[in-house]
Amino acid sequence: MIKVAKIAFLTTIFSMFTAPLLIVAGVSLNAKKRMFFPPEGISMRWYPEIFEEAKWSAALGNSVTIAVCAGVLAVSIALPIAYFLWRHRVLYAKALFVAGLVPFALPPVITALGMLIFWSQAGYVGRVENIVLAHGVFLVTLPLVMISLGLESIDEELLEAARTMGADGKKLFTSVILPMVLPYMIAGYAFVLVLSMNEYIISFFLGQHVTITLPVQVLSSLRSGYTPVIAAVAVMFVLFAVVIFSLIARFGDLPKLLGAWSPKE
Amino acid sequence: MSDATENAPIAPAPTGDDDVIAKPGVLGSIKRFPFSIYPTLMLGLFFFIPFAIMIVISFAHRTTSTYEAGFEFTHYARFFSPLFTTHVWVSVQFAALASLLALVVAVPFTFFISRFRRKPQVVSLVFVLCVLTLSEVIVAYSLSVVLGRQSGLPALVQALELVDRAKSWYPSYWANLFGLSYFNVPFAVLILYPACTRLDRELTEAAQTLGASPVRTFFTIVLPLLEKTLLAAFILLFVFTMGAFVTPIWLGRPEDTMMAQLIADQALGRGNIPFAAALAVFFMLVTLALSLLTVWLRRSDKTGVAS
Repeated sequence: MIKVAKIAFLTTIFSMFTAPLLIVAGVSLNAKKRMFFPPEGISMRWYPEIFEEAKWSAALGNSVTIAVCAGVLAVSIALPIAYFLWRHRVLYAKALFVAGLVPFALPPVITALGMLIFWSQAGYVGRVENIVLAHGVFLVTLPLVMISLGLESIDEELLEAARTMGADGKKLFTSVILPMVLPYMIAGYAFVLVLSMNEYIISFFLGQHVTITLPVQVLSSLRSGYTPVIAAVAVMFVLFAVVIFSLIARFGDLPKLLGAWSPKE
Repeated sequence: MSDATENAPIAPAPTGDDDVIAKPGVLGSIKRFPFSIYPTLMLGLFFFIPFAIMIVISFAHRTTSTYEAGFEFTHYARFFSPLFTTHVWVSVQFAALASLLALVVAVPFTFFISRFRRKPQVVSLVFVLCVLTLSEVIVAYSLSVVLGRQSGLPALVQALELVDRAKSWYPSYWANLFGLSYFNVPFAVLILYPACTRLDRELTEAAQTLGASPVRTFFTIVLPLLEKTLLAAFILLFVFTMGAFVTPIWLGRPEDTMMAQLIADQALGRGNIPFAAALAVFFMLVTLALSLLTVWLRRSDKTGVAS
């Protein structure tokens, strides 16, 4: 009885979160420019349009550029902070770590407005690099937490052994520490990549209708009327997330990255 | 560097032990690790300075087209106007309800998946992450397709001949609440997941050996153990929902306007940057206060789930 209830509950939840996406996938297959579900006539013609129609391909290009660069930026800021706190347990490092947690804890609209005012004052608005910097800083929390987890998992004895064998600080970092935290850096990078691709409000504030990212384009297209291209873009977003997170799960320890407690022997 | 700091146990989480932290000055710290200048500059220049400017501008004087330097409390005084109080109250209600609904679904769900074997557990986590990271735009759009007349449930209701002519189910109060709760569930799962994996299996097993039903075990053992985590999760979700932007635009009615929309409308729609800044400063202070509360809750929870 309890078991049946449990299975029914889990099935309901899983299907509740899958169904809307399946319906959207169905809508994206409509042959005519309509939003029917079930679709009327099956066609894949809306998918190539993302790459062919100028407004969609431009938005896609912007989003990919921003996500790729913001990921590099976020990891490059996170790594020194995490390493600093791990290696030298000083108050300043701890303060930097907390400073790195703050952006993600605040609602993004606040960051968006702060950055908008900053760039307006600087007289430099609507640029791709503004969004890259904003995303890089806003999402720094994820690689920061993950790299710290990676550093924590390094066995102190291993470092001791390397030191005994004559490795200096630099050598220790490049040949022992870096290879061990690399998977965590990649995971952190991937999280930033996905979140930056999906981020709406900061891109909307900073893009100023000049630099348009994919989510911003989706909402503005929605306002001027539904088309199956939007559904196709939504499907692409889902597939992108599925691929990235499956890769992380395949090559990394996902439960650990998300804070699961592993019993120690 | 001394051996004491060199071999100190590593716990860089905000809940780490403060007593093992050395306290040299800022310059002394940077000297130990010169690379720390880079993150300091990046976070300072592109995060903290913009915030400082925003705070200054929240006191500035608004002119017809833009704003000029000044120090006045005009914008903060507007917090007492109905425009502000109504929408804050609307946001608070939506945020509280949506967080509560999300927790009702997420608590049993997270508890179950944390007890899955590793492989199905990882698959479930991938699933949750995919839904979580999905843009608010995409989620709101998908739900509008489900609630829309041509493709969704209303069409189904019509096909079943329950009604003559189906109407779209959005925009509406319930569509907005549903959208916000829906968007919160995966986030709630990820907040609860670490605590659920830490729950001692032996406790629940012991309760059941003593004859408690699984349902009773859940309510008398699991929930009390998670009490502080749940409170912390509620606060985090509350803050997260207060920042919702696209969902209320797309699924809600004009009277369902929330905080983030209000800020965006003042800043971009009406060009009243100082008032938008004042709203953001207020919003930020509330968020920081609530976040500190969750840190404190988690800290005082060491005796509960963690042990």
